[in-house]
Amino acid sequence: MDNLLLVIIFLPLLTAIGIKIISNLVNELLLNYLTINSALLSFATACGMFGLLLADKFKPIHLELFTWIPSPEILFEFTLDGLSGIMMLLVTGLSVIIQIFSTSYMSKDSNYSKYFIYFNVFVFSMLLLVMSGNFLVMFFGWELVGLSSYLLISFWSKKQSAAKAGNKAFILNRIGDFGFLVGLMLTLNTFGTFNYEEVFSEVLNGNRESLSIIVICFIIGAFGKSAQFPLFSWLPDAMEGPTPASALIHAATMVTAGVFMLVRISPILQFSETGKLIIITAGLLTALIAAFSAINQDDIKKVLAYSTISQLGFMFIAIGSGAYVAAIFHLVTHAFFKALLFLGAGAVIHEMHHEQNIHKMGNLKTKMPITAAMMGIGTLAISGIPPLAGFWSKDEILASTFANGGFYYGYWALSLLAAFMTAFYMGRHWLLIFHKETGNDISQVHEAPKAMVRPLIVLGIFSLFIGFINTPFFHGLEKVLEETLHYVEITHLPEGITLIILALVSIGAGFTGLLLAYLIYIVDILSYFKIKIPLKEEIKELSSNTLYLNKFGEIIFVKGMKSFSRKTAVVVDGLLIDGLVNKISSLFYNSSQKFSRSQNGFVRSYVVYFGFFMLLLIGLFIATPWLLN
Amino acid sequence: MIEVSTDWYLTLAAILFSIGFIGMMIRRNALIMFMCIELMLNSVNLTFITASKHFGTIEGQISVFFVLVVAAAEVVVGLAIIVSIFKKQSSASVDLLRTSRG
Repeated sequence: MDNLLLVIIFLPLLTAIGIKIISNLVNELLLNYLTINSALLSFATACGMFGLLLADKFKPIHLELFTWIPSPEILFEFTLDGLSGIMMLLVTGLSVIIQIFSTSYMSKDSNYSKYFIYFNVFVFSMLLLVMSGNFLVMFFGWELVGLSSYLLISFWSKKQSAAKAGNKAFILNRIGDFGFLVGLMLTLNTFGTFNYEEVFSEVLNGNRESLSIIVICFIIGAFGKSAQFPLFSWLPDAMEGPTPASALIHAATMVTAGVFMLVRISPILQFSETGKLIIITAGLLTALIAAFSAINQDDIKKVLAYSTISQLGFMFIAIGSGAYVAAIFHLVTHAFFKALLFLGAGAVIHEMHHEQNIHKMGNLKTKMPITAAMMGIGTLAISGIPPLAGFWSKDEILASTFANGGFYYGYWALSLLAAFMTAFYMGRHWLLIFHKETGNDISQVHEAPKAMVRPLIVLGIFSLFIGFINTPFFHGLEKVLEETLHYVEITHLPEGITLIILALVSIGAGFTGLLLAYLIYIVDILSYFKIKIPLKEEIKELSSNTLYLNKFGEIIFVKGMKSFSRKTAVVVDGLLIDGLVNKISSLFYNSSQKFSRSQNGFVRSYVVYFGFFMLLLIGLFIATPWLLN
Repeated sequence: MIEVSTDWYLTLAAILFSIGFIGMMIRRNALIMFMCIELMLNSVNLTFITASKHFGTIEGQISVFFVLVVAAAEVVVGLAIIVSIFKKQSSASVDLLRTSRG
């Protein structure tokens, strides 16, 4: 039975190969049948395996495929426990829904089959990542995920900006991967194994030598993949890719790989206070900066990209405050409502003929009622309005942060501010697209085709109800993860009245944010009451440019690196290495020029040399006995 | 009556060798240089014979025969070369043969 895991993991890869082989022979329809049926089969098998896992009280299932490296013995192995089970369901399930959407969104694209090949390769890599049984297999999936994300971002590679965005994503991810790789080496050096359970039991048994540095290396890896401060600027640019790919990769699954990895190593992480502090601080900074930037974005996808970064920040806050279940919970709910929002944005972009500026839309709810309603659900869910999905998970994060006490109260307050900003910019986003009367010509806009609307409805239903898998009254997710987080100290929610007050406060933040967005962008109270915000233009500039962090990075790193490499080229390569080589060659050349003059072709000069050396030889003969004595 | 000792022969050989060597250095005509070489060879022959007489052994005289044979062979080859040089440039001057200079 355990071998069914291989079906789940390798079916997408086989599908990709199959599509490659038959792509020239069949039309789009047959290709759709192949890829969607295989995704469905993978999902069904995943459900079956999850059922088995459930029946067995989430006892981890191990599957050893073959010995990868004989000494030290590293196996190519997979693990299925509660954590990887949830991720497995999420990846395969969303893959089905988003592929159905893609068949409509990508139809008539000249590289239709290529898109589905990349898509399936991505699903394969992500499954490899989440179901890995040791760190090396995870790294294998981790790198493949980076590669397929690069391929999908620069899918329309004829566009200069898409090609550049792909490069940027890949290079910034490299920085994180570097940290991950160093962490791997240190792990092998310290523990002599890559297997999760062996490493964790070593740590739990007290082998905590150089633990902090290992944890920090893994954190750097997670920051790169999950777009945390300061490595987040690739994610907004990654929106150059096809929108359904953005939905799966840059919203729902790939960017959560960092969160997944940190929860996976939580048995190590719990012993490193420094590591947790770094995580929560970076998470908070990311959540605030991204939320602040999202307020003034004009591109329909960029708003969602920044909101993704901000929500990932929330997950890191949860991990940093020790609430691993809350992090995974938010990961799951976020995956659904963010996929919904992205696909909804995709439907809008499709109907607006690839117009992405939200100021050129407006009042689309009359033309696209279902899309508007589903996007509305997504917006309410992300804003944390009960009883939608986002409320339960975000409230759990906020409450867990609060429960830690001490300086965590400050983190809680600032997270609440980020949550408020989330509601505000998401409200603005929805209102500007679907509600505001702008007078733009939208007479050509129609409701999206069925293949796009139906996935939206499915995701909308999930966004409504997925939050109930882990509420204060029903700890479903906590039970799933219990076995995985067996030895991990988890921050628990505060009890009773405190929890209710905290929940009310966060609901209040959500409602206030949405209301403020309505008042400012629809009712326009600012001009009605003649309120002048001081430094309004400056703040706007700062926000739409992400605090100029991108430009800052460009000046420091890109320009600095360029001038450094130019100087290296001139000084080290040009002067030192080339100079040395040229010097040696010219030495031989010049000396040979000089010596060749002695071969002047006059026989008498040769005779003179001959005589001279004969005399020298004779002199030596005579002098030798005298010299030796 | 002055006794003609070994030294005299050796001195004569040295003088002959020097004349040959200096001739080699200062003359350009290939034939003259060839004669200079012969002169030097014969001065060496004279040294051999002197040494043979002085020590009362025969090896020096045997060496002379070898030298004579080699010189004869060399004359054959050398003269052929000189003739072909003369044919080429209607002069036997070796200074005109500088094509192999560096």
